[in-house]
Amino acid sequence: MSKQINVVKNVLDANDALAASNRSRLSQAGVLGVNLTSAPGSGKTTLLEATLPALAERDIATAVIVGDLQTSRDAQRLEPYAAEVIQINTEGGCHLSASQVATALDALDLGRLGMVVIENVGNMVCPAGFDLGEHVRVAMLSTTEGDDKAAKYPTLFQPADVILLNKIDLIDILEFDRSRFLADLDQLNTAAARLELAAKHSTGLEAWVDWLLTARAKHTAAG
Amino acid sequence: MHEMSIANELLGQLEAIAAENGLARIEQLTIRAGELRGIVPEALQIAWASVAEGTVAEGAELTLDIVAASARCEACGLTYQPTVDCYLCPQCNQARPELLSGNEILLTRVTGTEET
Repeated sequence: MSKQINVVKNVLDANDALAASNRSRLSQAGVLGVNLTSAPGSGKTTLLEATLPALAERDIATAVIVGDLQTSRDAQRLEPYAAEVIQINTEGGCHLSASQVATALDALDLGRLGMVVIENVGNMVCPAGFDLGEHVRVAMLSTTEGDDKAAKYPTLFQPADVILLNKIDLIDILEFDRSRFLADLDQLNTAAARLELAAKHSTGLEAWVDWLLTARAKHTAAG
Repeated sequence: MHEMSIANELLGQLEAIAAENGLARIEQLTIRAGELRGIVPEALQIAWASVAEGTVAEGAELTLDIVAASARCEACGLTYQPTVDCYLCPQCNQARPELLSGNEILLTRVTGTEET
């Protein structure tokens, strides 16, 4: 016999519950959780290579959880700078999930950390829809990708707490129209901070590190 | 192709519902998704057909209802309807929405055949 069942169930219940648990573990340990999202090649790993030593100078030990479809190349690049690095290979998965982050957190000694940065899989679409348990979400674009990308990929930029424009040293060569990019952001998100950087040359690094420290004070008891 | 993750989560919930309700087979399911979620209907259908294969929900027909979003402006308090490419508040021209709905994916109805 046919039977109809009316339910109202959040399809991402399991992910969202794990994300909430990740967030509370981080908060209780006084650790800021950062979800770093961008297209592949925007400079996420390069940004962290510059950021981690600057955080270490301010006595913030930072672990990185890095997601890629394949290889541990990013983890190898970050190992000299991070307190701990955990590489997750999604083997085809286009974003990290809260359960992968939960497993990574199990392996970290949160008590000796001040920050955990989750370098998400390079992708401008899929990571946006999945809460990992971070406190803050970072959306990065680099000038090489073009000034129309905020309009084309709104879901990356809309929920961000801070929006980074990287490779700013190339802005003139690439004829990247900053005002066009900013006008598109104005349609999506006027709450997020906006920072310009050239991570490779550590340009703009101080404002970015200050933003992270302020976020840490705001979101964790450790302050 | 985040639709694959969604389809996988969906299957887990349907298997639980089938067990709880004594269903031998799931024939139909309805999903309600906020338009800001960015689900590509064709991609979800393909992902669903693929994950459901060989399970209690194999061949189940998936109906997807996409519903408009709703937000409260954090700047001026107005409740308005943002769209995927424009979150501007029509009253104060700020894009500082507190989303009330639009990002959800809900399983709302399941039809199945009971075990005999």
